[in-house]
Amino acid sequence: MLEQTKLPNTILIVDDNDINRMVLANIFSDSYRILEAENGQEAISLLLPNAKDICAILLDVMMPVMDGMAFLERIRNLGWNGGIPVFLITAETDTSVLSHAYHLGVMDTIQKPVVPYIVRRRVESVIELFRARKRLRLRVEEQQEQIDAQARRIIELNMGMIEALSTAVEFRSLESGNHVRRIHDITKCLLLDTELGVGISYETIEVIATAAIMHDVGKIAIPDAILNKPGKLTAEEFEIMKTHTVRGAEFLQSIPQMRDHESFRYAYEIARHHHERFDGRGYPDGLKGDEIPVWVQAVSLADVYDALVSERVYKRAYSFEEAARMIETGECGSFGPRLLAAFREAEPKLRSFYKNQREGEVHGTEQDG
Amino acid sequence: MEQSRMDKLSAGGIDVQEALDRLMGNEKLLQRLLEKLLSDENFEGLKAAFAAEDQEKAFACSHTLKGVFGNLSAKALFALFSRQVELLRAGSLQEARELMQEAEPLYQRLLEAIRAYEEGV
Repeated sequence: MLEQTKLPNTILIVDDNDINRMVLANIFSDSYRILEAENGQEAISLLLPNAKDICAILLDVMMPVMDGMAFLERIRNLGWNGGIPVFLITAETDTSVLSHAYHLGVMDTIQKPVVPYIVRRRVESVIELFRARKRLRLRVEEQQEQIDAQARRIIELNMGMIEALSTAVEFRSLESGNHVRRIHDITKCLLLDTELGVGISYETIEVIATAAIMHDVGKIAIPDAILNKPGKLTAEEFEIMKTHTVRGAEFLQSIPQMRDHESFRYAYEIARHHHERFDGRGYPDGLKGDEIPVWVQAVSLADVYDALVSERVYKRAYSFEEAARMIETGECGSFGPRLLAAFREAEPKLRSFYKNQREGEVHGTEQDG
Repeated sequence: MEQSRMDKLSAGGIDVQEALDRLMGNEKLLQRLLEKLLSDENFEGLKAAFAAEDQEKAFACSHTLKGVFGNLSAKALFALFSRQVELLRAGSLQEARELMQEAEPLYQRLLEAIRAYEEGV
């Protein structure tokens, strides 16, 4: 019922002769609203504001001011796309006129003088066809919206699971959940706001930034005693600590749903290689220079920068200036010139991620106490 | 409709049943259309157009009358005016004018029949 009211239910009758209009109106007025126009010009001015209510146009050919053919040409030029069926009501039998009318998009021609049941049957069949099409289209749109909403929910859920997993791992290192958020934001900023990400689409950058969140999932396999040791690690302990890269990559690979996820390819590389160094002295594979994908290099720098400016069990928080200097001089990590140039460019913006988040952390600490 | 009133219109050349069918049995509407014809000026206009040899106006009037007679199922007049419209379209003003001799008595008979019908209402 509700659907029915949304469907157009007005017939526009265009004829200069009032008797013709009365005859046609009489055939349809019991179940349709009727609009009448005396010529093409009037029909256009009625059509424009009422287009979505009109289900059919009954059009005479011979009319003063603007005849039926001129009307058809005009609405065609106005970009009318055949959404409303037009019936030519005519005594015309000249086939060249009729074929021109069909060419201009007329649905059917009906001979005058009209026979009511023929007019009604032919017009209503087409109206019903157009309504069915419209109902179908509305239905498809509705279902598409539902599918899109479900897809969005699934993506949000995926994101939520990935963040929850990563945050849980970070919590074991006594770090706040904001660390993963910041790695995401810094990686995205380096790739999006500098020339570093040239050739990588926005969508892919977002996927890489999401993958970056999982860079340390391998730490789940590292014992607490090593992970949270306040002092310096022994050589043996450090060897164990280093395995979090390979273990993380293996872990991601062992989850079938993860393997199918669009971020897997990036997450795997990032987990395995985020401790490689540009000078080749990193681990686990000792990759060198651009053997390390540029987006992995970006995540490494994001991780180092965030570690430096944050307080950890084994160190105080450095100032932004100190942190930037330590990265530039190679005192902490080893990065290529291209990445350092991008870092210099992005660094002022990176600071803003902490201004917003430090307040949140203070809050969190209070609640913990 | 009463048979006697139907007969009056039939005498004017109208196929009453067909006309009523076209109007979905709406007798009131038929009555309104007939009344309109009594005051219609196209026939006089057509004669004036022929007198002035105004081809364009003759065509417009003839075309309108053809439509009206068609709607009212005034069969003989409809056939006659269908021919006239085609002649005018083809530019045969003279031949078209000659049809008026045939049309005039038919038209007058129709008007008389309508008046007789009206009186019976």
